Amino acid sequence: MRTGRLRFAILFITAVLVLLLPLVVTDRFLLKVLTYAGLNVLVVIGLAVLFGYGGQVSLGHAAFVGLGAYTCAILTTTYQLPFVVGFAAAGVIAGVGGLLLALPSLRLKGHYLAMATLGFGELATLLFIEAVPLTHGVDGFTGIPLPAFGSLVLRSPAQLYWLVWGVTGVAILVCANMVALRPGRAMRALHGSELGATACGVDLVGVKVRAFVVSAVLAGLSGALYASVIGFISPSVFTLTASVTFLAMAVIGGFNSLAGPASAAVALTLVQYLDALIPGMSREAAQFVQAYEADGYGLLIIIVVLFAPAGLGALFARRSRAEVQG
Amino acid sequence: MSEFLQFVFAGLKSGAIYSLIALGFTVVFAATGAINFAQGEFFMLGGMIGVWLIQLGVPLPAAVVLSVTLTSVIAAVFEILAIRPIADGDPLRIIMVTIGGSIVIRQMALHVFGPDEMPLASFTAGPSFMIAGAAIERQTVWIWGITALTVAALFYLYRRTTMGQAMTATSLQRDAARLVGIDTRWMVTASFALAGALGAVAGLAVAPLTQTAFDVGAGIGVKGFAAAILGGLGNPVAAVGGGLVLGLLESMTAGYLNPLYKDAVALVVLLGVLFVRPQGLFGGSRREKV
Repeated sequence: MRTGRLRFAILFITAVLVLLLPLVVTDRFLLKVLTYAGLNVLVVIGLAVLFGYGGQVSLGHAAFVGLGAYTCAILTTTYQLPFVVGFAAAGVIAGVGGLLLALPSLRLKGHYLAMATLGFGELATLLFIEAVPLTHGVDGFTGIPLPAFGSLVLRSPAQLYWLVWGVTGVAILVCANMVALRPGRAMRALHGSELGATACGVDLVGVKVRAFVVSAVLAGLSGALYASVIGFISPSVFTLTASVTFLAMAVIGGFNSLAGPASAAVALTLVQYLDALIPGMSREAAQFVQAYEADGYGLLIIIVVLFAPAGLGALFARRSRAEVQG
Repeated sequence: MSEFLQFVFAGLKSGAIYSLIALGFTVVFAATGAINFAQGEFFMLGGMIGVWLIQLGVPLPAAVVLSVTLTSVIAAVFEILAIRPIADGDPLRIIMVTIGGSIVIRQMALHVFGPDEMPLASFTAGPSFMIAGAAIERQTVWIWGITALTVAALFYLYRRTTMGQAMTATSLQRDAARLVGIDTRWMVTASFALAGALGAVAGLAVAPLTQTAFDVGAGIGVKGFAAAILGGLGNPVAAVGGGLVLGLLESMTAGYLNPLYKDAVALVVLLGVLFVRPQGLFGGSRREKV
């Protein structure tokens, strides 16, 4: 009970700090980077739920982000519909895509879904490039309007930051609830022993499919926000590289918690913009970071899976629990 | 008619390559029960190392042998360093590690060989053969010959050698295999080495036709996997059949529908087979063991 209240307090304080940040941070660029971090967190917590509770891996989540981004861009720009419509449609389209992919792949034991998502990602990239009338092809989609609610157009970096982190915060709450309540218990049982969970009446396929669809919807919503906040999207943003980055963030953060993956997403996003955030950084160092970033993700995935299968987040969690008990 | 025949040749050409990749998946799946996401990277490595050696002036036959051997060694070292430490053999963890490994291998190739596409001349120069109005490039004949030889060698290895029978025993009953004195850990390493060699052979054989680059692995991996699923994962004969059928489906789609749809075929096949006939075209009905 006490740890429950403690956790709630930590969560509450973190939320307040995250919300108050724009009042303290005056650097517009840093605020933008933190907004991108929020977009990544939105995708990564979905992946964490899928990985930690559904025991599944996705190598195609950038495609869902792209699906959401293009849906929102086309609806708000080409058809000039309100942002809210584009945003909602992005979630729906990504969710339907996720359902179509997950249903066949998850009927069977084994890890067919991972390979299916890899193929889906390759295919989506092709679609974004070739469906020129809809997506404008490799040139990219420009002139996407800023998010607006009625006559209120969100312009300043702080407003956009609040929008993104607001959505991300709600998503974290929804996921935390899902994980803590009945669906989460079913998922945890599944991760422990699929056979045992089935014997207790857990709908194995249903739980996994649900986890995958939720993660696809979150990715789609993140894409819609990305398109509206940045105003420009192109196929090169939603490639396998991005999918791998998301997966790395989720795995390195670890499952069994959402805080780990969320922190990993923020930290690794900051690393991506290291050269711009540290003014004194030399060109060579910045280029080195850029060239070897993916190597780092690959190695970290291997190291984490080999030596800390529950993720780096779990190492901290274990220590803090030990401290509380001690 | 000659047009149809042309599509058949094109299909059997890429189909042969998919067969080799599918065999790579099958070999590792049999030994570990996991999908090896680095399989496509072995294909890439084979092509890149081979082309690089030839550019250095190494004669073709030596470059082929060296490239296949090197890729095989890299695959074995990867297994020893990253797969073997997974004591519980959890397929999810193995898959994660192979995903990490595929990123590392791809990045290493990028750092060593650079980002550009690397061309390779056909193994033998000369005009295409003509059969009933359809052309067969000389390299295509090489691909078929190399694939046939590789498959024959693989079957010889599995059926006729002690090593191959030890690998089969390991994949059937790991504990029982250990009881009769088979070092099952080395059999897993051997399966990775074999998968590396299969991928490298495919990558080399196709390099003159498609060029090669550090990032070709993921795409070919999906197709080889679709071929393995189409045939029925875990069965080498079915893997070859699945590869050829997938190649034919692709070339017919590209020829008669739209070339843009070609790359979608593998994914549609993958999802379709999982939905309708999970045991694959050539697999008998089999129940999951408890």
